Amino acid sequence: MRRRPGIGGLQTAAAARDQYRLLGENVAKIRTDMMKEQLSTFRSQLEDFARKHKNDIRKNPAFRSQFHEMCAKVGVDPLASNKGFWAELLGIGDFYYELGVQIVDICLATRPLNGGLINLQELCNLLRQRRKSDRGVVSEDDCLRAISKLKVLGSGFEVISVGKKKLVRSVPTELNKDHNEILELAQGQGFVTVDEVERRLSWTSGRAIDALDTLLDEGLAMIDDGHKDGKRRYWFPCVSPISSLTGIDSL
Amino acid sequence: MQKLGEFKLPHFFNYPPYFTLQPVRDTREKQIQLWKELILDYCKTQKVFVIGLEEEFPLFTNTVIERSLTFEAREAFLLALVSEGRAEWMDKGHRKCLILWHRIQEWADILLQFAKDNGLEDGVVTIEEIRFGTESQGTELQGIDRTILNRALKLLEQKGKLVVFKGTSTDDEGIKFSV
Repeated sequence: MRRRPGIGGLQTAAAARDQYRLLGENVAKIRTDMMKEQLSTFRSQLEDFARKHKNDIRKNPAFRSQFHEMCAKVGVDPLASNKGFWAELLGIGDFYYELGVQIVDICLATRPLNGGLINLQELCNLLRQRRKSDRGVVSEDDCLRAISKLKVLGSGFEVISVGKKKLVRSVPTELNKDHNEILELAQGQGFVTVDEVERRLSWTSGRAIDALDTLLDEGLAMIDDGHKDGKRRYWFPCVSPISSLTGIDSL
Repeated sequence: MQKLGEFKLPHFFNYPPYFTLQPVRDTREKQIQLWKELILDYCKTQKVFVIGLEEEFPLFTNTVIERSLTFEAREAFLLALVSEGRAEWMDKGHRKCLILWHRIQEWADILLQFAKDNGLEDGVVTIEEIRFGTESQGTELQGIDRTILNRALKLLEQKGKLVVFKGTSTDDEGIKFSV
């Protein structure tokens, strides 16, 4: 005989649902607990690691960069906030803010000489000189990190790649493709001539002169009429820094 | 670093475009500023008082990078010094320039200090003694340019700090301090 639906059946179904829900909740809870536990283990491990290698992180730029890489892989940004345990533990936030301020300072100081475009390498050298008393060493990676933090200021600090070199731009000048190609070409000798630009890049002379004039107006290039071949040379302080001409010395 | 005798040259001295007067205003101003400092610094340490635009001058040529300043550039740098009161043209044609790394007023102060240091507050000293005497040895007054010295003396004379009296020849011109 077929059972007809009754209150008993409904109650059983409801009870079963409750059971399932309870079980589900339990499973979820166990999972979250496990996750939480894993996370806290991970966090304490990371803290332990950071504490243990505190000095290495502070002093050794290669180690610091690897530490950053590791943090990035697991989704932790030690620079995200100046508060919290990273700052307390490592003072790492302060380190980059300090670098940032010094980078701005150097960029401003050298702007009249290079038009606001500076070779990353030179920037690092100047930064190291300035921090001579500091025991820590600064790597290019540190510079890049500090510059990326400067972006929030919206002041137009940017790292651009020209050929093999990285240049740090501290003026809002937009460099187009033509300008970049000239800068790349200039990396060879530190200067270019109109002839050379025409020949090597297969440009018309109008295009070459136009691009060079813009770079001149922006203060990124300087002319040199003194060579005995009589050809005007356009020098770019940002690719052949003045301070490196005679070795690394103070500016 | 490249040196001229004992003088340390700045980095930009080895960068060829600094020997061509720059056409863009901002760049040129910075260029002129650097050259002004270099010229004053060099003249002060090497005791050079007069620069002739058409004459040889160690800073005007860099043989290492084979660059020389054009006449136009030399004139621009010196003109900038003149406009700041750090130099004066000695002739109407602007060919010779008197370099004042100390202004005349400062030279006058140095002279007064010299008088005090040597107990000459109301004493007499000859111009030759100031320029080449034992008292001035090792001081900034040693070998001071005649024109600059005369100007400083004149300034002090006007203020009543001293009297210049002429001798039989220019060699025994003397001054009496009354500080």
